[in-house]
Amino acid sequence: MTAVGEVALWIALPVALWGAVLAFAGGRSGRFDFVLSAERTVYALTFLLLLVSAGIVAAFVGDRYEFWYVASYSNRELDTYFKVAGLWAGQRGSLVFWTLLLSVFSSVAVFQNRRRNREFMPYVAGTLLAVQSFLLMALLFADVNPFERLGFTPANGRGLNPQLQNYWMTIHPPTLYLGFTAFAIPFAFAVSALLTGRLDSRWIAVTRRWVLLSWFFLTNGIVFGMRWAYEELGWGGYWFWDPVENASLLPWLTATAFVHSIQIQENRAMLKVWNMGLVAATFLLTIFATFLTRSGLIESVHSFAENLTIAYVFLGFLGVVAAVCAALIVYRLPQLRGENHLQSFLSRESAFLFNNLLFVGIAFAVAWGTLYPLFTEGFFGQKINVGPPYYNRVNVPVGLILLGLMGVGPVIAWRRASRRNLAKNFAWPVAAAAAVAAALVATGVRHWAALATFSISAFVMTVIATEFVKGTAARSRISGEGRGRSLLGLVRRNRRRWGGYVVHAGVVVIFTGFAGSAFDVAVAGDLAPGESLSVRSAFGHEYVLTYESLSHSRPRSSAGGENDWRWTALVTVRRGGERVAVMRPERRFYPVMDESSTEVGLHSTVLEDLYLIPRDVDLDGGEDRVSFEAKALPLVPWIWFGGMVVAAGTLVALWPAGRVKSRAAAGGAAPSLAAGRAA
Amino acid sequence: MLIAGGIALAAGVLLFVLEPVFSGRGAPAYGGDDRWDEAAAKRRVALSALRDLEDDRATGKIDERDYAELRADLSREALSRLDGEAAAQLDGDPAAAALEEEIADMRRALRAGLKCGACRHVNGRGARHCGRCGMPLEGRAAPDP
Repeated sequence: MTAVGEVALWIALPVALWGAVLAFAGGRSGRFDFVLSAERTVYALTFLLLLVSAGIVAAFVGDRYEFWYVASYSNRELDTYFKVAGLWAGQRGSLVFWTLLLSVFSSVAVFQNRRRNREFMPYVAGTLLAVQSFLLMALLFADVNPFERLGFTPANGRGLNPQLQNYWMTIHPPTLYLGFTAFAIPFAFAVSALLTGRLDSRWIAVTRRWVLLSWFFLTNGIVFGMRWAYEELGWGGYWFWDPVENASLLPWLTATAFVHSIQIQENRAMLKVWNMGLVAATFLLTIFATFLTRSGLIESVHSFAENLTIAYVFLGFLGVVAAVCAALIVYRLPQLRGENHLQSFLSRESAFLFNNLLFVGIAFAVAWGTLYPLFTEGFFGQKINVGPPYYNRVNVPVGLILLGLMGVGPVIAWRRASRRNLAKNFAWPVAAAAAVAAALVATGVRHWAALATFSISAFVMTVIATEFVKGTAARSRISGEGRGRSLLGLVRRNRRRWGGYVVHAGVVVIFTGFAGSAFDVAVAGDLAPGESLSVRSAFGHEYVLTYESLSHSRPRSSAGGENDWRWTALVTVRRGGERVAVMRPERRFYPVMDESSTEVGLHSTVLEDLYLIPRDVDLDGGEDRVSFEAKALPLVPWIWFGGMVVAAGTLVALWPAGRVKSRAAAGGAAPSLAAGRAA
Repeated sequence: MLIAGGIALAAGVLLFVLEPVFSGRGAPAYGGDDRWDEAAAKRRVALSALRDLEDDRATGKIDERDYAELRADLSREALSRLDGEAAAQLDGDPAAAALEEEIADMRRALRAGLKCGACRHVNGRGARHCGRCGMPLEGRAAPDP
């Protein structure tokens, strides 16, 4: 199987190049046989890349350590599902996986549009195939071939990084990559719109759900990554503004701006150039994120570099794509002029525009901080990293303004809103925010960012709840239906709008969870069995953690053999004298890699997490002493719950609208505005 | 064996990809039923804007003066896109037809006298008293136009 995959990789490149050339030639000359051949190339590439991926997985599962990639990211004792996940454990396999997902989405897009949107399809197929051609060339000629052989066959592999040996490894990277690659479809349609000159809102209407699908996967991928970091890294945090984290956030920021700004183009025929810029920027950032994650360009700061050749190849590709997009937008500039203008500063259009500027502003700030070490090295010969204080100082205030805008946008009418009505609509939400702020200050809360977040969250939640209540009541009045049916009808009638409100509610919950970190409490102690540690939560109650005993085990992995050695502490947790949980935090040692890792103990409630880190196990003294750090982390569970609400809201917005039975089809009189005009 | 397998794989892929070029069979041509009608898209947008306006008014986001002005603008815009052939096409456009039905329902409610004389709130068919202020409604028995 591995040999078949290797052959398939070499066949894939000429096939992709052929398809890319024929697609553009067919589109330009009107040769539909060329176009059909190119579209078949898309399907054929998916088949070939499935063979390539299967070949890599087979090499991992079969312990084929003559391949450099397998020897670098696996070992005989590794659990089988981590061997399968080896496909995306390193740079080389990740590139294959990225190309495979892009190919699958390309096939879906070509199949969906085999009889529709034909004007776009030659250039859509051409653009997607050109991107795949580049990735295949990089795989074969930039020293990242996953089938590269060592001159000998080692007895065992070097093993997988212990931090990657977590079940999130099988969930988080694929989800994020699905988000990255799905965005290539809207990008391809945008390029096609620019090439064909069909610059009305059609390409947006055609790709709207692709954009939401990409956003859905990106958002979930980021939340999954946060959860992984929280569980595995053992420091009680979920976001550290690490370059790789930032790389996934950048396309999310511009994609989120795009999700909002396309509504302006659809509703008001404005922001056409801006939208073209955003779709191109988001696509470029997905490529940037992919290569940054595995390239070693930024990691070289920490001497983790695997191969910098690929970094320069990717940078060159990014430069070419950016230049082509800019040239096309400039060429089509006269046709991209907006058909309307802002009628009033107090309008939903203005709120959307402001939201877009803030998202792009945050993206610039994050990109600057991420690339700063490279700039300082390039210009001053010394790498200087910027840490969380920089990002928090810049992004927390802007993030709070964005949070507030989520409450302002829904209340403002399109085109223009009167100050009188705004005052009326804001009265209750502002009162709710003020009440929350007053209550928190009264209870002694002085942390400004937390106060602002909780107050603004109350403001936004009141707006959203009011929207649902008023919308349901209005529909119920007009249709005569009950409240439940009215609510369902309301959401069904405009899934994007009401699904969007649910997403906003989820984001508010997430922000509230973030703000909880202002009240984290941490206590450390070096304990012998039978000794206890107390943590007083920000909510006032006290947890008493008693270290009962330490056990040692060497479990056999699903692949056979001992992959890791474990020292498991048994800790009972009491609250108010009552036992509420038993924790089993672990220290693990991976003999193949000669590295250790921490598996934290976690006790979650609705309001907070109790997080127990075994920092060190003293095996020499014969007393089984363990150094623990216990943290009471308020509202962290809300982050994961908010993520689920965001996902649910996105699915509501994504869900296809059922066909609506027209009145004519139902046999009734056909009312129309045209008829109504006579009346 | 490996070489033979590779050649067979390459040959199969090439046959699948090149067949249209050799046979002259082409992909579906441009246009046809899916031809994008920008006018229809703008009409849909205009109708959606009217619907949103009604929503904004029903939920109290805009006052009567703004509502009247915006409605006049939007109605003019929508009607200008509903002339002749375009209006006839609406029956085949489920989304636009649904929007129209809602707006027509609202108009019927208004014509049926279900708008409260005291607070101008639009009430559902069959309502005897205003859902907002409780005042009796007049003309509730008026037939649909």
